[in-house]
Amino acid sequence: MRYVIIGNGIAGVCAAEAIRELDVLGSITMIGDETFPPYSRPMISMVLDGSCPYEKLPVRSEGFYEDLSVTPVLGKRVSAIDVETREVLIKDGVRIPYDKLLIASGADPRTLKASNMNLANIFYMRTEAHVRAKLKALPEARKGLVLGGGLVGFKAAYGLLKRGLDVTMLITSGYPLSMQVDETAGKIILNELLKHGLKVEVGVSVEAFEGTDRVEAAHTSNGNRIPCDMVVIGKGVYPALSFVPRDKIEVDLGIVVDEHLETSSPGIFAAGDVAESIDIARKERWINALWPEAVEQGRIAGWNMAGRPVFYKGSLSRNVMRVMGLDVLTVGLVTPPSADGYEVLTASDPRQNTYRRLVFRGDLLVGAVLINRIEQGGVLMSLITNEVALRIPKDRLLSPSFNYRQLLM
Amino acid sequence: MKEVIVHPERCVGCMQCMLACATAHSRTRELFSAVLEIPRPKPRVHVGVGLYDEGFPNRCRHCNPAPCQMACLANAISRDPAVNTVLINPDRCINCASCAMACPYGVIRFHEDAVAPPGKTVAVKCDNCDERRARGLIPACVEICKVGALTYEEMSAAMKRKTDEVARTVSVCAEKGPLSPGFALLNAIKKAQLTT
Repeated sequence: MRYVIIGNGIAGVCAAEAIRELDVLGSITMIGDETFPPYSRPMISMVLDGSCPYEKLPVRSEGFYEDLSVTPVLGKRVSAIDVETREVLIKDGVRIPYDKLLIASGADPRTLKASNMNLANIFYMRTEAHVRAKLKALPEARKGLVLGGGLVGFKAAYGLLKRGLDVTMLITSGYPLSMQVDETAGKIILNELLKHGLKVEVGVSVEAFEGTDRVEAAHTSNGNRIPCDMVVIGKGVYPALSFVPRDKIEVDLGIVVDEHLETSSPGIFAAGDVAESIDIARKERWINALWPEAVEQGRIAGWNMAGRPVFYKGSLSRNVMRVMGLDVLTVGLVTPPSADGYEVLTASDPRQNTYRRLVFRGDLLVGAVLINRIEQGGVLMSLITNEVALRIPKDRLLSPSFNYRQLLM
Repeated sequence: MKEVIVHPERCVGCMQCMLACATAHSRTRELFSAVLEIPRPKPRVHVGVGLYDEGFPNRCRHCNPAPCQMACLANAISRDPAVNTVLINPDRCINCASCAMACPYGVIRFHEDAVAPPGKTVAVKCDNCDERRARGLIPACVEICKVGALTYEEMSAAMKRKTDEVARTVSVCAEKGPLSPGFALLNAIKKAQLTT
């Protein structure tokens, strides 16, 4: 059996490991854009803020490919898939034949359309190379500008603040992390950041950058000029699927997969940030571009490729982050699409600096936001994932003393 | 392989296990000196309160596969198959709380610890007292538990005992098990009081 895996991110890595659990003889080829050993992508923001050294990024050893007898094809991007002849085409004309194919090509940062994007010190934040470049620019930098109030923009702003830069963040919605948390939690997070010196401008975008070699200022849509010597763009990501033949493989926003992570084309699977599965809380197709999802999808796709039909239930949005003095945990559907059929419970304790928001659909928990006292967040997440009908009063879950025992009746 | 088994119905919520656990994971391993240590030793077993105020000793189940291990961003969590224990490497841990979000039992805490690099907050949970067991001792929480809510035994032996207990309640012919020590004396005293 010839397995080909497109992508050497964590989904591809976990898939290779899963295949090897079941099939020691088949050949595995991994095609990857990055040449660095398999590393933890979420940790690059911790490298930026200085809480984790760059050397700790790898999560597998240098000998990973050799140990699993995987043939690595690194530093290359796939240009096309020939579904008829079952071959993967690489940019320089090489064709790699496959019996089972996994597309785990991940996602690329959404590009910004503004003039003078070629100036130095304008960065995206996705790969270890990006963070390496930022670390090089940091000693000279004084004024940071972060575009986007999503997870990446927010983590970049936090990192630059911790590095002592004067940081301005431009966001389109009224508060950061609007996709992850509700308005109350967003405002709490925003206040914490403002307290530590972050400047925020709402509802503006950048139209042009100015500078000779390096960026010196940004011009915004409302006519302001913001001086800056380091820019981080965090406008989200989009699935890297330019090489996917849309007439042969069904593509929506990402590659549509079934409950075995197989695409509409038999023998071709997809996992990780490029795959669009069912969101358990939302009950609709969704891409949850998250590390733990990529791990799980990679493993399950690998087993399915090796012939064991393991079922994949679906994905769930979730995040946990530590922001200065706040611990923030968010799971599932936090802002219901309509008030109809949903019930929202909240509790807060200003003295303990805690906030909890729970979203229910009938007797099912479908979403939660916790600020501080987050230890029981995993219990709430497994209630959502396993769709456990709640038999105890819902407000018990709001209490900081809520624990697993209370669910047993 | 022997393991720690929780019998929640027996727990009286005395929290002795928490104290013993914190002491066992301190530098000095003596209660009176442990309370003076910096960082203050903290327990890995957590007695929670049920809906009717009953105690519940909540500890790591060392799941296999372990959700915390799969969610770890830093590859800091591993399984030692020889002792069936899931362990967190404090040096690799980045305190991101991904494991807490993945743990379905809510047993992971974050604080400084005697085995972690000084000044570093790390994820901490039950390690099955691997250090004590290497010295031939049983886990500290089991050793201290006075009501049999925590036992250290083969899972099959514990299941057999439970099955026998159930059998005795429904069958008059079933052999009576021995009472816990002290109960015979207590019963004898009560009977004596009734007859006089």
